[in-house]
Amino acid sequence: MKTYTPQQGDFDFISGRDINVDLNFASQGYWKGVAIHFIRNRFAMTGLLLVGVIVLFAVFAPIVSSYSYQDIISVTDTNGKQIVAKSLAPQLAGEGQGLFADKTFIFGTDDMGRDLWTRTWQGARVSLIIAFVAIFIDMLIGMSYGLFSGFFGGLIDNVMQRFIEIIGSIPTLVIISILAIFMDKGIGLVIASLLITEWIGMSKIARAECLKLKEREYVLASRTLGAGKLHIIFKQILPNTIGPVITQVMFSIPVAIFTEAFLSFVGVGIVLPQCSIGSLIESGFNNITILPYQILPPILVLAILMLGFNLIGDGFREALSPKLEDM
Amino acid sequence: MAKYITKRILMSILTLFLIIFVLFVLIRIMPGNPFPVERMSAEMILQKRAELGLDNPILVQFADYMSILLSGSFGNGTSLYNGAPIKPILLTCLENSFKIGVLAIFFGTAAGLFIGITAALHRGKFLDGFCTVLSILGVCIPSYVFMIFLQYFFSYKIPFFPYFFDPSQFIFSSIMPSLSLSLLSVSVIARFTRNEMVEVMNSDYVKLAESKGIYGFQLMRTHVLRNALIPVVTVIAPLVVDLLTGAMVIEKIYGINGVGKLMVDAIAGEGIDYNYVLALGIVFSALYIGAMLILDILYGIIDPRIRLAAKEN
Amino acid sequence: MKKILVLIFFTLMLLTTACGSDSSDDKLKVMLGSNIVSLDTAQATDVASFEMISNCIDGLMQLDSNGKPIPAIAESFDVSEDGKTYTFHLRDAKWTNGDDVTAEDFVFAWRRHCQKAEEYAYIFGSTVACVKNADDVIKGADPSILGVSAPDSKTLIVELDAPVPFFPSLMSFPTFYPINEKFYSALENGTYGTSPETFLANGAFSLSSYVPGAANIQLKKNDSYWNAAKVSVNDLQYQVVSSSDNALTAFKNGSLNVVEISGNQVEHVKQNAELSQNLQIVPTGLLQYISFNQDPKNNHAGALANANLRLAISNAIDRESLVDNYVMDGSQATYTAIPRHFAPNVKTGKYFAEDQKQFADYVSFNVDKAREYLDKAKKELGKDNFQFYVIYANDGGDTVVKVVQAIKSQVEENLPGVTLNLQPMPKAEYLDRLTKNSYDIAVTNWTPDYDDPMTFLTLWTTEGCVIAEHWSNADYDRIIADCTTGALAADYDARWNAMYNAEKILLENAVIAPLYTGSNAMLISNNVSGIDFHSAGVNRVFKSAAVK
Repeated sequence: MKTYTPQQGDFDFISGRDINVDLNFASQGYWKGVAIHFIRNRFAMTGLLLVGVIVLFAVFAPIVSSYSYQDIISVTDTNGKQIVAKSLAPQLAGEGQGLFADKTFIFGTDDMGRDLWTRTWQGARVSLIIAFVAIFIDMLIGMSYGLFSGFFGGLIDNVMQRFIEIIGSIPTLVIISILAIFMDKGIGLVIASLLITEWIGMSKIARAECLKLKEREYVLASRTLGAGKLHIIFKQILPNTIGPVITQVMFSIPVAIFTEAFLSFVGVGIVLPQCSIGSLIESGFNNITILPYQILPPILVLAILMLGFNLIGDGFREALSPKLEDM
Repeated sequence: MAKYITKRILMSILTLFLIIFVLFVLIRIMPGNPFPVERMSAEMILQKRAELGLDNPILVQFADYMSILLSGSFGNGTSLYNGAPIKPILLTCLENSFKIGVLAIFFGTAAGLFIGITAALHRGKFLDGFCTVLSILGVCIPSYVFMIFLQYFFSYKIPFFPYFFDPSQFIFSSIMPSLSLSLLSVSVIARFTRNEMVEVMNSDYVKLAESKGIYGFQLMRTHVLRNALIPVVTVIAPLVVDLLTGAMVIEKIYGINGVGKLMVDAIAGEGIDYNYVLALGIVFSALYIGAMLILDILYGIIDPRIRLAAKEN
Repeated sequence: MKKILVLIFFTLMLLTTACGSDSSDDKLKVMLGSNIVSLDTAQATDVASFEMISNCIDGLMQLDSNGKPIPAIAESFDVSEDGKTYTFHLRDAKWTNGDDVTAEDFVFAWRRHCQKAEEYAYIFGSTVACVKNADDVIKGADPSILGVSAPDSKTLIVELDAPVPFFPSLMSFPTFYPINEKFYSALENGTYGTSPETFLANGAFSLSSYVPGAANIQLKKNDSYWNAAKVSVNDLQYQVVSSSDNALTAFKNGSLNVVEISGNQVEHVKQNAELSQNLQIVPTGLLQYISFNQDPKNNHAGALANANLRLAISNAIDRESLVDNYVMDGSQATYTAIPRHFAPNVKTGKYFAEDQKQFADYVSFNVDKAREYLDKAKKELGKDNFQFYVIYANDGGDTVVKVVQAIKSQVEENLPGVTLNLQPMPKAEYLDRLTKNSYDIAVTNWTPDYDDPMTFLTLWTTEGCVIAEHWSNADYDRIIADCTTGALAADYDARWNAMYNAEKILLENAVIAPLYTGSNAMLISNNVSGIDFHSAGVNRVFKSAAVK
């Protein structure tokens, strides 16, 4: 039989032809789908907007502001006495009274005579850093620790869980006092202490989810088909734990922010005159009934930030989890 | 199961021993003397240290401490309260914090589950949004700020509750602090319950159950709640420990003689009272380990599919 | 679920509103700024404990409303010619268990204190009371050699190593109070003073409710007190309040009759016509100051061994602005090493630090002068930039935090090239850093234990207490030694002048930079009168207080 040698022209590219492509149910990549669902979610976009606005203000407001966050605003009166613009209620230029009538303090001034507007946004910077560090610690350390512990079970699980119990049992104050021997006080120290304890809650959640999921049929099926352990953990189990995990992350943000505030309160956190949302709430708290406007801005910023993060979190959860009905 | 639990308890005791050792060493590394030194000469300080045996090798000190501990005592303080025996003082403080903590757990869990379930049942509607905002607000406001608000409005503007904690009207004066303490747990529990329930309600087996004609309360009880509660139980356990171990700022504001305040007094006073910090650390760890133990056992009860000891054979 | 909650809530209310408390007229409710650390006179170290002990126990002497020593348990006393032997004749007084207060009770308490060698044992020693052999007993010698004896139950003889001009007023300090030996020995080790049952009073009040760490402490009038007729308050209640804002609301609410408030609250009260009538500003003997670590071996602080640099910092601080703008509780800017309202001269009645201008050459606010000093220092050290860590304890409320930030801002603005890094820390760690000399600059304070400048001046001797600045000056040490145990101890005027000389050495070297003399801003209800305030030792005395 004569063999046929393929020749040019036997096959044709069909790109030029008009064929019927299903535009309504176009197939798309997983992440593209997630992105589309996320963008279509009005709540999630609102959340993104809120966080975005706070981030924008935190980045630019201290730069644009006419005062630095640590400037004590003062004038010297005719007797050579220094008068400090302390504890002024919010005012716009020309509206105020006395020596500082011509200055604008959108959020007023604190009891040291510093502009609260600048300080709030400066504080938001620090707290945003702490928030992102907390997310990072939770997602990276907490989640993998919990998943491994839950998945392998037995002796490994036992040892890993006992380790958590030991770490979790040491009071934060003891940990940070000891860390303070080796490090300078400030945000670095706070982050270091968060690194040691912050992820424990998340690892518990991830482990519980993993325990629940690893006996499921689809995992069993994967295993039977010869899937590697890492593949099962990260490709099969991880995507299904995303709901509780994101909820937990949302809670570890304010917890981290308040841990920092508590540490500042005891004298091991952020170092004044630097500030964070937590330390601003802390100092506003000292005068809460007589100067209530001092505590409002940081609490409001925190509330907006939290609302934003939560909406984003919910959006992610829904976009990532194919089970939810609004997909 | 019984074998597993026995093994687990033995492990916990071993862990506790390890924790005591680690704490013991760490506390001696902490900067600060175990007694007030402001008016002491260097010579007096050395003399005092020798008296307390602080210059002995650490293992000898640890052995001494363990023998005190095993005799059922926590030893005496080094700078707080006349160096009196720690146990009765610790018990008083624990009792105060426990009572308030238990009340807070009750408020927190009840309100959290209520809000969470309500939101899940009305998901996507107004009530859901309202509950979400409510639970988010709960995490934004530190419990001590909420406490000040409560105190300002319900003890000062409307003098209904006592302005300071009054041990003679225990329950009545614990309402405000336990409400504010429960704030965070309400939020956490509400959010977890809602999200878990929504997820479970969308799962195939619930849809199947619905198609079989199981509705309402029965569906909730038999199919939804059980599965939704696992992560919720996981978050409740550490919260319980947190609530029981006191809240320093609230205890200070309201004048409660509790363990949170005791811890800060022991660490941040004129001297670090080693023995108090240790005693508190041991009690907290025991609580924590106990909670984790119960948690692991509970997993098995709530969801029979989870087999903790499965891997061992 | 909701209904159940509401139901529970209301039942609780019904249960508890039934037992509301009625208020009696002679009840006095007082705020306490911090917890009581100990009711044992040997172990107490804090203002709150001393106040509580002095409510319940009387010593040999007490202070009248002007701070002059008057007899308490001692009916009278004789001093030997050389001023070294005091013989106290005790009156008939009783402990609350019915026992007589005897001279042996004092002997027992004093020996015990020296033997236990806790923080305040130093007060028996050669820098203060000079009780014979006290230093040896503190170091571990047999306590029976201590120079205190009781020939009979109503006579107490105290032998001193040197005449101590303020010895009678020192006897009002709690560390010198008696303890009933029989009662004490019957108790389990360490339990003395941990409950009303384990504490014995002989003073104006007795303990009726107290547990260690309690935020609420109740005292009642002691009817067996020797001077019970003069005590008009029946119930004295203490509430520990840690926040000044909280204290203000509690006062407005009527929950407390006497509260202490800080700067921002004082400003608020001053603007309120009604409340400002209740405001009473009481100067204390607290001196807030900056301590420079002069150890040349210390990494950063090496530069601070240079006197010009220290003078530059001291002169760059606007103390008036500090007290007017940040402290705001009536504290007064201070330019001497001894606080302003403290230690009046027995003969002239003038405070030791009455003249605030006497050291104006070294301590003042003068930016030009400060920069001159800085230029000199830069030349001498060959360095243009200096960076220092400023440590301070974080337990003193927000006042210190504000002051430290203001100092940073002033110094950095007035002295180009000098940077201060603030380092807050818990008190225990802070004291540890001071004792171990690991700091550059410390913002610290000292409250006087007794009414004499020496309570401050002994701080800065070579052998002084732990906050030693690592500074040593032979002339200074000699003057202090002369004034405490040496030649000048017996000559009141010469000693007084010598102390000025010592202070001059201290300030011309800028060993410390004084900042301000503290003050307590109190709100006192209109119907309360007769509370005595003292700048040294026990700050508040309620023995003669009355509620109308």
